[in-house]
Amino acid sequence: MDTALPQRFIEQSLHSLKAVQNQTIQLNQQSLQQPNPETQMHTLQLNHKPIFLKPICQEIVVAAVDTSSMRIGETSTGMLIAVRGATVWKQNKRYRYMRLGPFIFHATEENKRELYTTLQTAYFNTPHEHTFNSQINLIQMPTRIASLLEKWLQAMLTKTLVNSLILFDGSLTAGTAETPTHLMKEILNTARKKGNTVLAFSKMTSLRVNGHLITDALPSHKPPYMLETAGLKPKPPIVLLGDVYVARLTHGNYAFRLDIDREFAYEQKIEAVEKLLGNDLLSQSYPETLRLAHILCTFTANEVIAMQHYTARRYGLKIVNRPDMHRLLFGPFGKGDMNA
Amino acid sequence: MKLYKKEGNILQILSFPNETVEKGDYLLVEDADAGKALIAQVIDVQFASIPGVLEELLRSLPDGGELIQGEDFDPLEIAPHITYIQDASLLICKIRATVENESLSPSSSWLPSRSQSTIRKLSIPTLLKLAKVDGKLPIVLGGTKDSSLLTIDASSLDGRLNIITGKKETGKSHLSKLLMLNMVGYKATVVVFDLNGEYHSLGMTSDGKRNAYHDKIHVLTPSQNFKVALKQVNLHVLLGILIHALHLPGTSAREFRRIWQALKERDMLSLHELGEAIRNWNCNQHVRDALFSRYHALVNSGFFTDETGGITLLEEYLLKAREQGGAIIVNLRNTSAIDRQIVVEYVLGKLVEQLTNWKLKAAFLFAEEAHLYLRETYWDDIVTRMRHFGIFTTFITNQPDTIRENIYRQADNIFLFNFTNEHDLEVVSRAARVDAETVKSIARDLAPHHCLALGRVVRDFPMVVKVKALDVKTMGETRLFFEDVD
Repeated sequence: MDTALPQRFIEQSLHSLKAVQNQTIQLNQQSLQQPNPETQMHTLQLNHKPIFLKPICQEIVVAAVDTSSMRIGETSTGMLIAVRGATVWKQNKRYRYMRLGPFIFHATEENKRELYTTLQTAYFNTPHEHTFNSQINLIQMPTRIASLLEKWLQAMLTKTLVNSLILFDGSLTAGTAETPTHLMKEILNTARKKGNTVLAFSKMTSLRVNGHLITDALPSHKPPYMLETAGLKPKPPIVLLGDVYVARLTHGNYAFRLDIDREFAYEQKIEAVEKLLGNDLLSQSYPETLRLAHILCTFTANEVIAMQHYTARRYGLKIVNRPDMHRLLFGPFGKGDMNA
Repeated sequence: MKLYKKEGNILQILSFPNETVEKGDYLLVEDADAGKALIAQVIDVQFASIPGVLEELLRSLPDGGELIQGEDFDPLEIAPHITYIQDASLLICKIRATVENESLSPSSSWLPSRSQSTIRKLSIPTLLKLAKVDGKLPIVLGGTKDSSLLTIDASSLDGRLNIITGKKETGKSHLSKLLMLNMVGYKATVVVFDLNGEYHSLGMTSDGKRNAYHDKIHVLTPSQNFKVALKQVNLHVLLGILIHALHLPGTSAREFRRIWQALKERDMLSLHELGEAIRNWNCNQHVRDALFSRYHALVNSGFFTDETGGITLLEEYLLKAREQGGAIIVNLRNTSAIDRQIVVEYVLGKLVEQLTNWKLKAAFLFAEEAHLYLRETYWDDIVTRMRHFGIFTTFITNQPDTIRENIYRQADNIFLFNFTNEHDLEVVSRAARVDAETVKSIARDLAPHHCLALGRVVRDFPMVVKVKALDVKTMGETRLFFEDVD
């Protein structure tokens, strides 16, 4: 297994934290776990004729990947970022997991380029100037670093598993700064070579048909079923590497956007989802494996306090509570940055 | 430890897993800038309300109730920090005093700095020194949790009303024996109402040899070596027995007084003559019947005799005890309920008589399960009137609700052993010298032979002590049927 990226994560984590010793940090509990921005789509059509699904109980490994990032505090020159990733797989009717992190970084305007390119180089072998030239903002650093870890975990799963189902969080959209097209293609190619099928579930989508979210326009058929979409044409350089479906896999009014590697034949795509139905628990139309991956990597408030405690103890960072300007100026009407 | 909150006289202190603090421990919250410190006692230990703990616990159990198996690659070793935060505890503490210039005051009206205060455990020896729990007549009660000895002053029991209570087999009698023997050691006069015959071997070591107290322990067993002749009994003592123990009505009591005086004038006070006098006395038949039934009760008790030779005089033992200290153990085992009351009335009457005449300076009375022999009106007597005569009582009971509320309110010292029953704790918590939260919280978790000492003996700093062992022959064990079965 290529462990260069995790090694660089540790090195960069320690390196960036050493540079910030004995400063003061301002606590920040606001989560940066934001949904991936949807790419702009045009001429979207939704086929309301459902594709009915039958669970295939032939035993197969189901694996999932997810990562989380969080800003755990601010220093006078930057911010403290925590990143963690988790892979969960179901094999022999039992779930197992591997969790990486948390990795804590001190990102500043000065070191953000070095920090990101070092991590990128460890994964892509060469720094992707194109990616960084897209004007990385300090505030985007948590999601950027988490995305790197996520891609590495996805790549590792596609390389190590054989004839399995691999679930990603989000879509199979590429061509963004976080998900270069060639990288995503490489991941999907490797998966196919190993007989794996990649299914990507988006918890949130902004795709609409006739003004309605595609996940809201559900025909009243008995689940499980999928609805096919057509006519999605993203603006370059964004590309879609999967076919987009709306999956309603259990009772209840929950449905998700589901992207399936478009290189597979139609029947193979349907069979993959049917295998998922036969091999994983599904609650509220969402696969348990992916749910566990999300749960395991998400930072709890307790962990945030523990990481603040770690940085305070290990690097002598003094925690200060600077006044919240929203609160200060607007009193009870000041709800903080997120709601500004 | 960090100061978190203060509400009234309750402090909430955040404690971390490497700081081992338990219920009953004392903490010193020192504010160097204010030049003062608070002494607070931990009365409860709770989990600190850490945000995200519920999520943390929930995510460790997602797989149908079984722990999900997996590996954590945690290069920065954050996990110990998570555990550290997750296991933080909140200490609920009761403020006991303020220390300023090495002197104590019961004030809790000031607020120490939350950010600057230092909090540390206060060792029991330091606290005892600060509280000046010492004296010239030390009694070692036992060991405290930090392996120091808890020594009280015998004079803190002098003139006081004490209660030893706790559920069965927690060590109440053991403590009462320890206190009693120490008092005897300091030449005090002690009277024990020994309901179960537990005290009569206190003069022997556990291996059956005589100990230092052997000659000071006098066991009086009613109707065996403890009898009284009518001539030795004062009329008011006997009337006390007839009215209070045998419930003789007032009219009959008046007739009895006349009969007694008539016999006394003729120097014919004996059981036989008393019986004859009642038979021949010119009075209402109902009165005669009433007097006869009480007369037979006295005769049948076996406690009264006409034989004056060779009988034990209580006064003699009391005088002996006055000189060199001693304990008069009134063995009430195998004595019927009525006879018990007769004996107790007699002993208390005699004690008051001796004390009133200043033949005795004071006496320490140890009463086990007093509700079984003490008449209703004596409870108030003991805490008010008899205290002024010089009878200082220690009640020992496993049924705290048998002691009246006013006794608890006036108790100077309470030695509280384990209670789990809410009702029992509720009763004890009515004591004026302690707060209900302390009693309820600490007493519930006391191990056997551990007691919470409250009141003057510990200068109102409740302390948990493991009562020390005594090298005396114990007789208080319960007789068991399956004793010999392995």
